[in-house]
Amino acid sequence: MSLDSTEETFTESDEERTTESSAPSRLEEEGDVAADYLEELLDIADIDGDIDIEVRNGRTYISIVADDDDPALKALVGRDGEVLEALQELTRLSVLSATENRSRLVLDITGYRAERGGDLRRIAEDAVEQVREGADRVALAPMSAYERKIVHDAVAELGFVSESEGEGSGRHIVVSAAE
Amino acid sequence: MLAEALEHLVRGIVDSPEDVKVSVKSNRRGETLEVRVHQDDLGRVIGRQGRTARALRTVVAALADGEPVRVDVVDTDRRR
Repeated sequence: MSLDSTEETFTESDEERTTESSAPSRLEEEGDVAADYLEELLDIADIDGDIDIEVRNGRTYISIVADDDDPALKALVGRDGEVLEALQELTRLSVLSATENRSRLVLDITGYRAERGGDLRRIAEDAVEQVREGADRVALAPMSAYERKIVHDAVAELGFVSESEGEGSGRHIVVSAAE
Repeated sequence: MLAEALEHLVRGIVDSPEDVKVSVKSNRRGETLEVRVHQDDLGRVIGRQGRTARALRTVVAALADGEPVRVDVVDTDRRR
């Protein structure tokens, strides 16, 4: 029932799948390369921020956090996380260049993704509610592959079906009842 | 700072970081940062459908704090 939702991964839009050699050491190296790349950028731009690296579920998570709400760090998130996505992409490329491994690392800044994750789960719950109340299919706004993955997972958890439709920047999720 | 930041961002994603040069041109409409890289790295810096160049512009614009900045990737082979 939820097969559709698990098929879609972060990799569908922009990367080929990495070979399944996700040895912890490779992911740690990936985290180190990425952290160096970001740390020097923060240095040059004179932005305060701590960089945390975490490896879990075969993926490297990097987060930049600051003690207070630094507007400069907020600028690196950008509207709708636009700058964050760009910086994540460049960071992945820096790992590719240094290690020749295609990276699927996830970058977060000031907890933007974590917070957005909560929003996305609410969006999923609202859509499911509409289907429960009789809507045939509920189309959501376009989202990045990463965000769609969060919504797919949330919808599947609630026992409903979601599929991605549309191309490129118009790719969005449609929620419907389970068959 | 912007030129230095851009240079760092580009150096980290190419095969020949020593060949990365960023120069700054100013005119009335603001600054233009010109990026030059080894010919073999040009594809990497531009990316598929200009994706990487776009990411570089997005990050530089964020660091520029509202000031207008252009980022041009210069194909030195085609210049005469």
